[in-house]
Amino acid sequence: MTIPAHEYDPEKARSLMNEVSERSGQNLSACYQCRRCAAGCPVGEETGYVTPDRLIRMIALGDRRAALENELVWRCVSCYTCGTRCPNDIQTARITETLKKMAKEAHLEPLRPKIADFHSSFLESGVRWGRVNEMEFMGIYEMKGALKNMKRKDFKAIAEELKTQTDFGLTMLKHKRMHMGLLMSKGRKEIQKLQKKAKKQRGK
Amino acid sequence: MDIAYYPGCSLKSSSAIYDVQNQRVFEALGIHLKEIPDWNCCGATSAGKVDDFLAIAMPARNLGIAEATGLGEMIIPCSACYSRTLVAQCQLEKNPELKETINAELSKKISGKIKISSILEVLLSAVESGMVAQQAQKKLKGLKPACYYGCMQTRFPFKVPVPDNVENPQGMEKVLKAIGIQSLDWSYKTDCCGASSAVNDEDAADALMARIMKDAVARGANCFVVTCPMCQFNLDSQQNRFGPKHGIRERLPVFFITEILGLAMGMGVEELQIDRHLTDSTKLLKELKLI
Ligand code: SF4
Ligand code: SF4
Repeated sequence: MTIPAHEYDPEKARSLMNEVSERSGQNLSACYQCRRCAAGCPVGEETGYVTPDRLIRMIALGDRRAALENELVWRCVSCYTCGTRCPNDIQTARITETLKKMAKEAHLEPLRPKIADFHSSFLESGVRWGRVNEMEFMGIYEMKGALKNMKRKDFKAIAEELKTQTDFGLTMLKHKRMHMGLLMSKGRKEIQKLQKKAKKQRGK
Repeated sequence: MDIAYYPGCSLKSSSAIYDVQNQRVFEALGIHLKEIPDWNCCGATSAGKVDDFLAIAMPARNLGIAEATGLGEMIIPCSACYSRTLVAQCQLEKNPELKETINAELSKKISGKIKISSILEVLLSAVESGMVAQQAQKKLKGLKPACYYGCMQTRFPFKVPVPDNVENPQGMEKVLKAIGIQSLDWSYKTDCCGASSAVNDEDAADALMARIMKDAVARGANCFVVTCPMCQFNLDSQQNRFGPKHGIRERLPVFFITEILGLAMGMGVEELQIDRHLTDSTKLLKELKLI
């Protein structure tokens, strides 16, 4: 584990546990560490020692930093296998989804910036137009990545990404799987109003 | 029979072939798909990862529009849209305060209930009524499909009524059986294809897809059959990427279930747009003399 047990501070631990439980809607304290979730997690090989049960343990121990910054939080594919199999109905994917938001609110640099950029670009496109425009949102997503590579002066990564995306785009075109027109819903104004209202409420 | 229809964004762009197929196949089954007016994006998995409020508010608006049509049921062929909309409906039912907050901004308010159905639920009722067997008479001999469900047909972020067996769903197998096709038994039918990680976390997604593909090949499958546009797109478009990386030489066509049904109804490759797959799918059909 990330902190020795003797540093465990019940008060500190409780506040993290309560926050995650409430926001994710999951009863974390029901976890008895049986690891059924870990056995079925398809990204287990990618996330090193962090499996759903261990993520829950980090939260239970109040290790905020470790809980917000680990591979599982970012690489969880939201397949919901862990939660479907958990004997105590704990949906860990809801926990990783919650921790991503908490990491953002804490202004932590995402461990996997591409994944964070992807989801925010997708949702931004959906809210901006009311419908997601694949070409537009992929363009914004690629730009975000390129800017980060630019800052790092990683021109090789930029060139590689450009080539991959161009090749892929051409294959899509060839098979008539690319859509050129702009998708839009007039109702996007309602969604935008709702979003503003929710933000204001959260701010209170 | 009229039924409300929510296509979602991907069926209007990279998976537009699925939209066309749905319209044609359901029409032939006597089910008229009525696309709901001015629908918006459901938020997909991204909303759940970025903004919990929008994850409910976005599908909520569509629910209001769907209810206003007066129809009793809405079909959602995309698994992600289906999952998000069904989850939103259940969450709103449990949380009247949230419903009120959202309704305040909606021109078409959510009131009662409309049944949200996956494509399989609607197809299975057409199997039961005998319409499928009656309309799809062409025998498609030689197809050995691995029916692949992916995540979102049976697993949900919150408790909802699940229409099929969670670990070993049978909906697709039943539909195919009704047109004389025996599907294979295999182990990876509900494993994850990686979804958007095919774009933003390639190594993770490639490992997932390779596992699915290896089991399908080992069982002797000559194609996949799917209902989810994301699963179809990933498995169809990435075989030449994850295949070489993971030592898989075989390439398998990834058919939407509507393509198989359409073929059995006597529709052509172009009519169903099967020629727009990224992994060639007409070669197998020609070899089996199905086209
Ligand atoms: S399956 Fe549930 S109870 Fe068991 S370790 Fe995982 S989260 Fe805890
Ligand atoms: S939802 Fe995430 S944590 Fe749970 S099994 Fe899937 S990838 Fe693992």
